Amino acid sequence: MAYSKIKLPASASILLLFGFVLLSLQLMSSATQESSELGELYSWLLVINTLGSIILLGLVAVNAYSLVRELKKKEAGSKLTTRMISLFVLLALAPAAIVFYFSVQFLHQGIDSWFNVEIDRAMDDALELSQSSLAQRMNWHIKQTRQIASKLNNQSETSIALEIGNLWRDSEAMEIAVFSSQGHIVASSSANPSDILPHLPDEQVWLQLRQNKEYYAYDASDTDQMVARIIEPIAGDQSRFVQVLYPVPVRVTDLADSIEFAFIRYQEMTYLRDSLKTSFSLILLLVLLLSLLAAIWVAFISIRNIVAPVKDLVKGTQAVASGDYQQQLPITNQDDLGFLVESFNQMTKRIARSRDETRIAGLEVENQRAYLETILANLTAGVISFDGNFYIRTANQAAYRILHIPVSHFVGQTLLTLSVKHAELADILIVIQGLLEQADDIWEQRIVFLGPNGRQELLCRGTPLFSQDGKRVGAVVVFDDVTDLIQAQKNAAWGEVARRLAHEIKNPLTPIQLSAERLQHKLAKELPDTSAEFLQRGTRTIVQQVEAMKRMVDDFAEYAKPSKKQVERINLLDLIQEVLALYMQSGVVFKTAFSSHRAIVEVDPVSIRQVLHNLIKNALEATSEKCQIEIKVSNVVRNNVEYLELGMYDNGNGLNAEQIETIFEPYVTSKAKGTGLGLAIVKKIIEEHGGAIWVDTSYNDGAGFVIQLPVFELGKKP
Amino acid sequence: MLLWLVLLPAISCADPSSTEIRHAELIDHHDGYQIETEIDYQLSATAKEALDKGIPLAWDVYLEIRRPGFLWGPTLYKDKLRYTLQYHALLKQYAVKDPRGNSEMFLTLTAALNFMSLPHPIRVIDYQLLESGKRYQLAVRSKFNREQLPVPLRPFAYLDSRWFLSSSWFLWPIQK
Repeated sequence: MAYSKIKLPASASILLLFGFVLLSLQLMSSATQESSELGELYSWLLVINTLGSIILLGLVAVNAYSLVRELKKKEAGSKLTTRMISLFVLLALAPAAIVFYFSVQFLHQGIDSWFNVEIDRAMDDALELSQSSLAQRMNWHIKQTRQIASKLNNQSETSIALEIGNLWRDSEAMEIAVFSSQGHIVASSSANPSDILPHLPDEQVWLQLRQNKEYYAYDASDTDQMVARIIEPIAGDQSRFVQVLYPVPVRVTDLADSIEFAFIRYQEMTYLRDSLKTSFSLILLLVLLLSLLAAIWVAFISIRNIVAPVKDLVKGTQAVASGDYQQQLPITNQDDLGFLVESFNQMTKRIARSRDETRIAGLEVENQRAYLETILANLTAGVISFDGNFYIRTANQAAYRILHIPVSHFVGQTLLTLSVKHAELADILIVIQGLLEQADDIWEQRIVFLGPNGRQELLCRGTPLFSQDGKRVGAVVVFDDVTDLIQAQKNAAWGEVARRLAHEIKNPLTPIQLSAERLQHKLAKELPDTSAEFLQRGTRTIVQQVEAMKRMVDDFAEYAKPSKKQVERINLLDLIQEVLALYMQSGVVFKTAFSSHRAIVEVDPVSIRQVLHNLIKNALEATSEKCQIEIKVSNVVRNNVEYLELGMYDNGNGLNAEQIETIFEPYVTSKAKGTGLGLAIVKKIIEEHGGAIWVDTSYNDGAGFVIQLPVFELGKKP
Repeated sequence: MLLWLVLLPAISCADPSSTEIRHAELIDHHDGYQIETEIDYQLSATAKEALDKGIPLAWDVYLEIRRPGFLWGPTLYKDKLRYTLQYHALLKQYAVKDPRGNSEMFLTLTAALNFMSLPHPIRVIDYQLLESGKRYQLAVRSKFNREQLPVPLRPFAYLDSRWFLSSSWFLWPIQK
């Protein structure tokens, strides 16, 4: 902006400017005086003042243009500045123009009053009088000269030389000289003895002399005395001239000079009348222009300075309105505007402080929320929160891990919507939704459902949330997968049973067996044959059943005792092929689909072999006709861990829902023979290897089991 | 008017000269060179009227000897002769004040202008100033001195072409 470039805040520079303007105008005014020594500088002063006016005009124009631009841009304070400057210009221009007009009028009338017809005529008459007087004197001298010339008529040069002295003495002449037409002096006589040579005519005089044959004129070239020069030809001798110089009396000269000076002065003034008027008008105009332009320019600067705080305030207010509370305006003056600016600064400071406090509080809340979210995310229990209308608000990572559906993706929807999209979980979701809607207090419930990994048991706790005024604002459901916990409790219970069986049952079995055998041994010989045979049958039965019981207790003990694994790194596919090879002769048809590319697992081969045997035997026993077993092996990734998934599907009778729930528990069997520990041991072995086994409920052509074992990864500790 | 004053130098340059340098040459004087020149003064009607009203008119005759250069060669000799012409109403004669301060009276304006047309330099140029075999330039100009006019007339003299009474530079080659 032009204003910012022309930075003149100091009042000193303004005073200096006005001083310069006044000095320049004063000098120019003085220069117009005829006697002034500044007369020589007049033209330069005129040019300087004109240039000053042009520069000031330029400055005013730049400021006005800048103001117009600000107005167009609707900048803050521009309207106020325009109004103030317009008012100032109007107030300054009107009286100045009036003063200028009347000054010019007075000036013109004053100059005109210097001249009038009477003075004109008087001056002309005075001059004419002087000229007549001098002419009369000249005529008299011409007459005298002609008499002298006639006296020198027809005389020789010698007689002229003798006569000329007498002639000079008889006349009033200052000098008499006779010279030839070629300029040769014949004789001369002068009042001044120091003048050896007479004052001979110059070329101009000669020129006239040759033209007119005589010459007469006043010679005023000598400033001390005016002389009348008269040259006449000597009668009868055209080749000689006599020149007589007559002095004009000093008094006459002074009077003539005085009249001439006054006349010339008056003539000059008359001639310069219009020029004077124009010149004075020009100076007045320059004075007006310089003063006005300087005043307007200073007005621009001053008004901008006055308006600057208002401008700042408007900008500051706009900034505050747009949310910028850091605005601190400069306090330039300690006046009312300064007070206003100070108040504004205090206000913005307070607003900024409040905003900062709010922001800090918000950050703290946010941190708390993030902290809670982190805790929730890392909780092993799934947490889902609902709003007052039971729409999901938040869900943590554990909810996804337990339910196997990304609950957090369904924020803003109800569990019923979720149940439509995930039909396999519809039961549990509907149950929870029902509990949420009905419960007015904390509730807890165990819910069993069939998840993708088999039977799962959840412990759900729900809490309705209330606002301070008792209004229901939402609810929180916390659920935990207690499947493993329940299983572990069961395992522990079975272990205890096994230990007690071993202790309480197995110990008496040996004396029973020995007693039975001793009875047989002692009484067989003493009893008759029929009785002996009866005894033998009885004791055999006792011994067989005791053996059976012992075996059963051993199996149980085997199941209950901690395993001793010999872990090796093997290719599971090779192991499967090895086991399947053993059944080649049994008539079982195996269909294998190995899509795994990484089948290396770190397991106890003996245990895994037992798992495969148990499953295959289970399938064989469950199949009445031709047994067909399909084995699929593939790689899956769950929770960032790669597993080898082995699916084994038979074409047997399959499992009902009740069986599915308890199939992996000990002593659960649908077969006439068997301890019911086969699948329980399989599950135990798989879980000891960090894997999982479940019944594939989606398979309906028989029984389907899915085993997952973690794939060995280099650098990862088992 | 302000604009005119600013454009004043440009207008002055475009002066349709009413004064001409007829002739200029360097002549061998007794003890050195002397510049002889002939200037033809032509007064406009305005100037004549002002003269008859008693306003003195002054011309400065500039005499220079320069060595021609690429732009401006050095000026070896410089002289300024001021002639002032004034009318004496009483005697009906024209007075010419020459550079020496002497006044000459003339019955006619033509006689006065004729006297002014042959300016007489005061200084004699030393022979040593000009080297033989080199080229020089004689420059003559008669400039009407507006600053000698009465103050009210000066602005108009600068702007009005009727007051453009100066000659342009007259350049005359000299071979020594």
